[in-house]
Amino acid sequence: MTDLPTSSYPALLVGLPVLMATISLFFKSRGNAVAGLIGCLLTGGLGIVSFAEVTQRGTLIHILGGWKPPLGILLRMDSLAALFIGITAVVGILISLYAWWYFSSRKVSDGKFTLFWSLWLFLWAGLNGLFLSNDLFNLYVTIEVITITAVALAVLSGRTVALFAGLRYLLAAITGSMAYLLGVALLYGSTGTLDLGLMGQALEPGATATFSLIIITLGLMIKKAAFPFHFWLPPAHSSALAPVSAILSALVVKGAFYIMLRLWTEVFGVSLSYAAGQLIGFTGAVAVIWGAWQALLQTNLKMLVAYSSISQMGYLLMAFPLLILAPGVASGSADWLAPAWTGMAYQVMAHAFAKSSLFLSAGIIVFALGHDRIESLRDLVAWKPMTAMAIGIAGVSLIGLPPSGGFMAKWMLLKGIFLSGQWWWAPAVLLGSLLTAGYVFMLLRLAFAPAREKIAFRPVPHILQVCALLLALGSFLIVLPSENLIQFLGGTESFGTGIESIMEGGVHGNE
Amino acid sequence: MSVVIDILMAILLIYLALRCMLAPELSKTIFTFFAFGLTLALAWIRLEAVDVAIAEAAIASGFMGVLLLDSLRDFSYALSKNPKNLELPENFTIKESNKSLLLPRLALGIGFVIFLLISMEATWKTPEGGGLTAVSEELLPQSGVEHPVTAVLLNFRAYDTWLEIGVILMGLLAIFAAGGVKNYRKPSMTAVDPLLRQVILFFIPVLFLFGAFLLYFGKTGPGGAFQAAVLWGSIGILFHLGGWPIFAMIPRKLRQFLLTMGLGSFLILGFLLMAAGGAMFEYPPAYAGILILIAETLAAISIAVALTAIYVYLTK
Repeated sequence: MTDLPTSSYPALLVGLPVLMATISLFFKSRGNAVAGLIGCLLTGGLGIVSFAEVTQRGTLIHILGGWKPPLGILLRMDSLAALFIGITAVVGILISLYAWWYFSSRKVSDGKFTLFWSLWLFLWAGLNGLFLSNDLFNLYVTIEVITITAVALAVLSGRTVALFAGLRYLLAAITGSMAYLLGVALLYGSTGTLDLGLMGQALEPGATATFSLIIITLGLMIKKAAFPFHFWLPPAHSSALAPVSAILSALVVKGAFYIMLRLWTEVFGVSLSYAAGQLIGFTGAVAVIWGAWQALLQTNLKMLVAYSSISQMGYLLMAFPLLILAPGVASGSADWLAPAWTGMAYQVMAHAFAKSSLFLSAGIIVFALGHDRIESLRDLVAWKPMTAMAIGIAGVSLIGLPPSGGFMAKWMLLKGIFLSGQWWWAPAVLLGSLLTAGYVFMLLRLAFAPAREKIAFRPVPHILQVCALLLALGSFLIVLPSENLIQFLGGTESFGTGIESIMEGGVHGNE
Repeated sequence: MSVVIDILMAILLIYLALRCMLAPELSKTIFTFFAFGLTLALAWIRLEAVDVAIAEAAIASGFMGVLLLDSLRDFSYALSKNPKNLELPENFTIKESNKSLLLPRLALGIGFVIFLLISMEATWKTPEGGGLTAVSEELLPQSGVEHPVTAVLLNFRAYDTWLEIGVILMGLLAIFAAGGVKNYRKPSMTAVDPLLRQVILFFIPVLFLFGAFLLYFGKTGPGGAFQAAVLWGSIGILFHLGGWPIFAMIPRKLRQFLLTMGLGSFLILGFLLMAAGGAMFEYPPAYAGILILIAETLAAISIAVALTAIYVYLTK
């Protein structure tokens, strides 16, 4: 891997946000926000530019300190990493702009909110570092950065509910980190390397590899709020400030999923089994249905959106069983790998856009009314048409109606499911969509219903609604370049190393 | 002979850990915790991990101990004011465990035991990979330092260490985020036991010298920025315990500069090296030693200030 083109983009993608976060710490309220916003715009711009660079030149690497693995750490930006960094950049810029007007139009300017900008930039650096990392221990350090800053952001509102939820979030996240670290220690002890590529070659099947796989996957599933470990997510995400909820739900949970994807496809090839894939897929399917059902029962908008995250993240896990070949299946005939892979990528993108848009819209409603009871959405179309439109568009993408990004995701996933013959996942996908339609139309029905009484609301800056609407539209716009994107993700030249091995040989399930 | 010592130490460790958790009085718990930390440091030395032993002695017994002693003082203060505060109510009895909960608890317990057995089996079966010791020993002469751990931390994997320095700053920010930003006011000098002040004044130069020694010693032996920072951080805490609120006396801008310079200078060094045509943190071999020492010293000061800041913030 060390003979790939070198570039300084990967190092800058981590260094720049840290530099801007440090600079913004020196300023008080107004200057802090200005420095923070500039930092966010620069980081986002850099993310987009580097994404474009990868589409041109293929995978880029940066050998930190000039020490090649296994001794040193390698940052690599392949198409998968570039995609995640690009999404983070676009969504991050829009959330930052929203945050700027959201905080500056608050009458009582609490001093604590100035911490938002530096924490968000540190978090952004952690996310970029996570997507770029090619080293198991370095991944742990980026997880630590993300956990600390994400928890700090979640409790920033200072409300008691948020503090309690934040403490629970912290404990869950630390438990996940510890489990991950234990697995890493075992893997390092048995292979003598931390580099993902080298470890994938050196790892031998056995008790150690299997146990590491189990414990690392469990740790990451806690952090990703996968089904049995989802308890911390709804209170933590719904009690945070609006821009923070959007960041946590759209971007942060994707980090743990990304590591899981990398490790399963690049490292654990030898110890994966067909049953493991089925089990992960099953937890995903349960999450899809359970999360959507819980969302239907909520009476508060932000709780509804948070439960919807659990449901939508479940779809991502349902692609895992498709990536592992059943015993006895020839890898050449596995034509469902590409659709499953692209479906997963589209689900990541569509959910990032739609969910951030929904949380920002919920923030607008809280801003205007002071609470987020779903009942108060009545007549939303009349008093906040743009927000109603954003909720509608984002909701359509979550359901998966054409021509949204969510439709692409679910369509590709279903295609992969039927091609692979694992038809038993299809009902979960369809039932999930049906339940999602249930809660989205419940919101829209209220939005169109006439108000029972005159609503008194605070004026909301126009630009907040524009940001939410742009994000919602983003979940549709990602469909336009779909052909190029699929080629980019699936092209032989710039294919992610993990899927490349899958396409070539297939990750064979052990008996 | 050494086997007997090891077995005795293992028994002592477990005994102290149990005592620490089960001791009825807070003060006993804290003093047992001290002893536990020191025994653990000895155990690390027996395992030939001297650097971990130093960190254990400094952080677990030293830094944590000081914090615990301080909270103990607060407790005894609260108790002396209102002794009924912490007394148990008269009709307080330990509730018998609900029988309906017995089954899930049993299942949980069995699951835990199975998990423990599997993890022990996996650990024992770990094949010997040898790790990266051989590679790092081989490239040690080019790293600018003479100790493999320091070479790994500040040269081979400087990126990780840089991020970890950031994590400490982020931890401080997270505490502010959870507790709200407070303005440090210059508090009036409080009356403190003169004997305590004398003891503190005696200890501060010793701590400073020992910290500086550990920092410089990191070049050739176990030690380094994090260990030194803990000792220097406890200097700041001792000053505050003695009634000299030095942290509040420093101007705000300088405080911010001290807190961020470890992370910032390391990053700017990385950017400069990149601008010079190399990779991030790619030191020219001739200057590697001095660059590492500078970066380490600045990082140690920043971490020490951050530790003091956390203490001052939490005790306000």
